[in-house]
Amino acid sequence: MIGIVSRADTHVAETRAAGPILELVGLEKRYVGTHALKPATLAFEAGEIHAIVGENGAGKSTLIKLLTGVIPRTSGEIVWQGKPTDLSTPHEAIALGINAVHQEVVLCRHLTVAANMFLGEEKRRFGLLQHRAMVREAQVILDDLGFEIPAHVPLGSLTIGQQQLVATARAATRGTRFLIFDEPTAYLTRREAAQLFALIRRLEAEGVTIVYISHRMEEVFELAARVSILRDGTLVGTRRISETNEAELIGLMINRSLEQIYHKDSFTPGATILEARHLSGKGFEDVSMTVRAGEIVGLYGLIGAGRSEFVTTLFGREAPSEGQILWEGQPVNIRSPRDAIDLGIALAPESRRDQGLCLNLPVGLNLNLAIYDRLARTGLVSRSEEASAAERQIADLRIKTAGRHALASSLSGGNQQKIVIGKWLSHGARLFIFDEPTVGVDVGTKAEIYRLFSALLSNGAGIILISSYLPEVYELADRLHVFRRGKLVASHDYRSASHEEILGEAIGI
Amino acid sequence: MSESEEIKKAALSRGRFNMLFGLTLLGLLLLLWVALGFATTSFWSANNISNLLRQGAMIAILAIGQTFVIITGGIDLSVGAITGFTSVIVALLLQSGLPIWAAVILTLMLGAGIGIFHAFGIVQLGLPPFIITLATLTSLRGIGLLITNGATISITNDTFTEFSRNDFLGIPNLFWMVIVVGLPAWVLLHHSRFGRYLYAVGSNAEAARLSGINVKGIIYLAYTISAVCASFVGLLLAARIGIGNATQAEGWELQAIASSVIGGTSLFGAVGSVHGPLLGAFILATINNGANLMNVNSFWQRIITGVLIIVIVYFDQLRRRGR
Repeated sequence: MIGIVSRADTHVAETRAAGPILELVGLEKRYVGTHALKPATLAFEAGEIHAIVGENGAGKSTLIKLLTGVIPRTSGEIVWQGKPTDLSTPHEAIALGINAVHQEVVLCRHLTVAANMFLGEEKRRFGLLQHRAMVREAQVILDDLGFEIPAHVPLGSLTIGQQQLVATARAATRGTRFLIFDEPTAYLTRREAAQLFALIRRLEAEGVTIVYISHRMEEVFELAARVSILRDGTLVGTRRISETNEAELIGLMINRSLEQIYHKDSFTPGATILEARHLSGKGFEDVSMTVRAGEIVGLYGLIGAGRSEFVTTLFGREAPSEGQILWEGQPVNIRSPRDAIDLGIALAPESRRDQGLCLNLPVGLNLNLAIYDRLARTGLVSRSEEASAAERQIADLRIKTAGRHALASSLSGGNQQKIVIGKWLSHGARLFIFDEPTVGVDVGTKAEIYRLFSALLSNGAGIILISSYLPEVYELADRLHVFRRGKLVASHDYRSASHEEILGEAIGI
Repeated sequence: MSESEEIKKAALSRGRFNMLFGLTLLGLLLLLWVALGFATTSFWSANNISNLLRQGAMIAILAIGQTFVIITGGIDLSVGAITGFTSVIVALLLQSGLPIWAAVILTLMLGAGIGIFHAFGIVQLGLPPFIITLATLTSLRGIGLLITNGATISITNDTFTEFSRNDFLGIPNLFWMVIVVGLPAWVLLHHSRFGRYLYAVGSNAEAARLSGINVKGIIYLAYTISAVCASFVGLLLAARIGIGNATQAEGWELQAIASSVIGGTSLFGAVGSVHGPLLGAFILATINNGANLMNVNSFWQRIITGVLIIVIVYFDQLRRRGR
């Protein structure tokens, strides 16, 4: 046996005997403008599975980055086996045996699976790489874990889920003693998730300390021995799994009643704005639905269920392969985002950084990007109108920024999201599509965004809201459609089904 | 609100730094001029200043066009080749007896055609800008040599050649051409919506597209502007040296890129101006001119240029990182 067991064996004795393997003492991280992690004190026991839960933006990723030496801390101490440590570089973290498996795979897609597993620790003889030996050994490790992944193929030829498993195998075989998982199952199939859990249990048995970060309560209760809760950058508590329940955890995570966050005004729905009839395209098939003025249509499903593909097709990013789109009762042919925008559709896309914002350009330019044809009627941009349009948005949306000349990248996630949304408010659309509008947004900003929805609805607009966070669509949508594997599998009116039912439909039990 | 004050302070200092950088370039140029005035007797002579303005003018115009392309996140390696190639074309057209205005318009249209071809390769064929413009760099020189059979075409039209030697209001015509190109370019980049779109495309093409911007159109615009600027320089060069020759303007694309980068343009796109590359081009021209006057070995000029690029871009990086 090579790999996991042999390398980890040597540590078992010492780690089991010792108390905490890693302690945080008043650990704190500030960025300009945000307090990402308020002073946190916490001890991780050697060999335990410790879950960390919290909403998006609660400070989980900040904590991971601090523990893996990616960012420097503002103050506080990290104590590794009783000794304070700098942990100022990733290298240092790895040398101690701290590793992380990230939600997004951070490996080299063009290299083979084996090359990735040995990246930085290549096998050499006389300075030359031993390709075949590495492939052989990697294959033994993968087979031993039951992953059914060939070691000689390029990493990029695998599914995202398989890549995630490779990343996990890599992290597990490097003499790791403290392994952090960041939402590892987000892109995994159920089968892959089961394989991952088996690996985690095995690592636990070998005395590796596991930090497991997830939104998914059922995973936390299945795996963890203890759970810590983060909220708005504050570590609000740690519980033994046997002494807590889902309701308590959720209560600690949000600390306010759902009604307070999910502000919903009811409007009488008006005329139908958009209708999709048996629409098929890349990633979804045979989807029919209508959106009326004054209502929120929610789309729920797991990541990759085809919701984003469906709405980006409505927005003209890809052409539908079959079916029809009707706008205010008339069949329309939307061939580009420009066509969609001209009709009156606005899209706040899923990924702010990749699709929504020009990060290295000023806030004002980002806010006005969709309306420059109006700001430049004479051919030249009216500087005063440009300024006043941007200032109005900044004030109305209460965007926290140094001014319209500040770069979009200097803003916090929530304020960036306000820009993505604000861009379309000044444009004045009739149908607003929000794809995961509150990912990485703090609770306060969330509430503001929801209030904004109400304002839009009262002006006679319709909203399509995509969210992977069930309570959000559940509490806000007048009509909720559930997607699974590219198909619309169920539809419910406001609060007419239970969370369990809807989740079951999305997963496909 | 201490947090928002912190943000404000950070942004303010950045703003000052930005302005400082613009002024630094101008300051550097003026410093060079003053220093050369003391170091040499002939620098401030009318003759030398005219000469300097003429030398800098052509690279400056290339750099302006290049900047449009770089702002979109691309690169145009072909501008030197276009300049050489179009000098041949205009020489041939004049030789065939066409009036100057017709030869000029046809040459500029040809330049536009080359730019459109670049954008076609990038947008429709999906080729990287570096590759498509590298391909035209070598091909255009080849075509130019082929149609002239490697010979130099002399231009006998005196009105055409005199233009480059003459002055207007005491300033060389060639320098006026920088203003003729620079002013509309400045309006386009800083005061029209197309300018805003150029930055947006360079910053995040997908976000721009989802905001309803015709990204492909903007790419066509940028490469066409660059190629037209280059063919315009081809006209000026032909007038200045009185010949058309496809091997002329060798390496000018690198000087244009260097001027643009010295002028604060970011090769990653979305950062750049019109005045920056102008200053950059004249800083380079001044260094060459001064080195000539001081009898510095011309090989040194190349080394100095290289060092300058590293120093200036390094400070620019510091400015960007300091946010």
